[in-house]
Amino acid sequence: MKTLLVIKKQEYEWLIDLFPGVHPLLVPICNKPFIEFLVDFAILAGSDALRIVSDGVLGDVEHYCENGSRWGVEISYGSMRPGDDISTVIDKNRRFCLDGRVIIISGFLFIRYNKKREYASLFASLPTGELLGCPHGSISLAGTSTTKTEAPGTLPFSLAALDSIGKYYELSMEILRTGLTHYVIPGYSSEEDCYIGRNVIIPKSAEIIKPVIIGNNVQIMTNAIIDRNSVIGSNVIIDRESVISGSIVIGNTYIGEHLEVKNKIAAGNLLIDPESGTVIVMEDPHLLTTMTKSKVAGALLRRLVHTLGATFLILLQLFPWLLLRPILGMQGKWKRKKEQYYAERQGKYVTLTSTTIECTGALSAFAKALSLDRFTLLFKVLSGKLALIGNQPRPLNPAIPLLPNSPAGYRPAVFSYAEAEEWPEIGIDTEIVEHYYAVHSDPLKDIAMTQKALFHRTH
Amino acid sequence: MIFHLDTSTTQPLGVVLLKKRVDASNSNELQKAFAQWLLQASNFVFDCTELDFIDSSGLGAIVSCLRKALEHHGDVKLAALSPKVAMVFELTKAKQLFSVFSSSSEAIQSFRTVSPK
Repeated sequence: MKTLLVIKKQEYEWLIDLFPGVHPLLVPICNKPFIEFLVDFAILAGSDALRIVSDGVLGDVEHYCENGSRWGVEISYGSMRPGDDISTVIDKNRRFCLDGRVIIISGFLFIRYNKKREYASLFASLPTGELLGCPHGSISLAGTSTTKTEAPGTLPFSLAALDSIGKYYELSMEILRTGLTHYVIPGYSSEEDCYIGRNVIIPKSAEIIKPVIIGNNVQIMTNAIIDRNSVIGSNVIIDRESVISGSIVIGNTYIGEHLEVKNKIAAGNLLIDPESGTVIVMEDPHLLTTMTKSKVAGALLRRLVHTLGATFLILLQLFPWLLLRPILGMQGKWKRKKEQYYAERQGKYVTLTSTTIECTGALSAFAKALSLDRFTLLFKVLSGKLALIGNQPRPLNPAIPLLPNSPAGYRPAVFSYAEAEEWPEIGIDTEIVEHYYAVHSDPLKDIAMTQKALFHRTH
Repeated sequence: MIFHLDTSTTQPLGVVLLKKRVDASNSNELQKAFAQWLLQASNFVFDCTELDFIDSSGLGAIVSCLRKALEHHGDVKLAALSPKVAMVFELTKAKQLFSVFSSSSEAIQSFRTVSPK
């Protein structure tokens, strides 16, 4: 048995603007990419080969599914013209369709099935022709069956068209409420209706009410409530005292504090009302934002700007440092401590000498105002071990490991964004502001933020 | 933003037409202007017919206006929120703080029917 999947771009392109950066065929339904549901169904139906044919670009889908070895099936890809009808597509893929039976799934359809049922023998015995159809597509069978039987009155699967954000939301809620056991859902489930991924931080004060699905690398802050019928994607931060209820939070989204997301879809910086289709774009550090990782070119430019900034500060601070350092040292007001900190690269650490200036007297206050306590750290910027501005370096502590693949990114630096914004330099608040700027800053903003940090330390 | 006094109610009522955006760039302006408007009225209708965008700064400014109005024994009612602006009010739970009406005339009417505190 083989499965031919034919999906035209015009059927799914409405999703492109709503979930930017995610290929519509990879849009998650209950945290599982759409295409995976079809792969699972094809496997349940006894397929050992699957071909995905579309007139749209399938690069991301190919990258995700690869050759299908992950599922133990052979996945291949084909292209078609926008005007091609299903018979033309079959004709163009006749080598694939030549031997044996082929399930042809045409259209951007979700197939409701139950993994506990037996589909392989059913599909092997069903007659050829259309099995199920709707205005948005169909499932049909080609090739001859080994045993001739009539199609049963009701088939143990059905179709759901995905043609609007409302349908997408309804389908997700339907699976969450009644169909979680019908599909393979990602995450650990020790009890019914509750799936939780890896690296999920749930403080004691947070409340989780099932049915709920939570992805990987999710941070739920204090007093947050994940109320029933919610799907939280991977790499998501739900800030303190926020309530998520009957909503879908797509991966890489930050939900600010004290918010109530009720019956909505939050995708990056978009908040969508599935009922009315209203979409609002938020670029507000206190509400919700997209979390994206910086590009390599951006990182190189950032490093260059940080190096130049550090050089400038070294030249500026050199003379006062040479003058004040020995005096304050003799007075016992210049204290140094060598410690190991987590480095930017995962699993690595960096040894830093932190300096504390005891602020008792005009000279030490002047030295502090000039940020001379950071002078030696500036050389670490030149060697690439620290950034000029970024996260406050976190001391190496096996009891509090740094989250792997932290969605916010971690860039230890001489000055921190929290200092620049005069936020408290400890606790969750720092993480939030550092997260925001780690994601939204650019090299020029970094210079401005460094100036702010220097200014705030002076005052 | 445009301010005018409506004298059809028992007490003068300030009607503020918010335009386009209320965000970090003009939220201070709203707060400063509101302090002046408070000298003329204590009840207000914020007509959001032409308001397309609001961010947390704008929201903070409107909530601050409400707080000041309440201190003067008045109220701020919102009218004609667009779906996008309404979503921000829902998201931040700020909607619970305000009386919201579908049009400014309805909001003005509500001040006529309910005697001010």
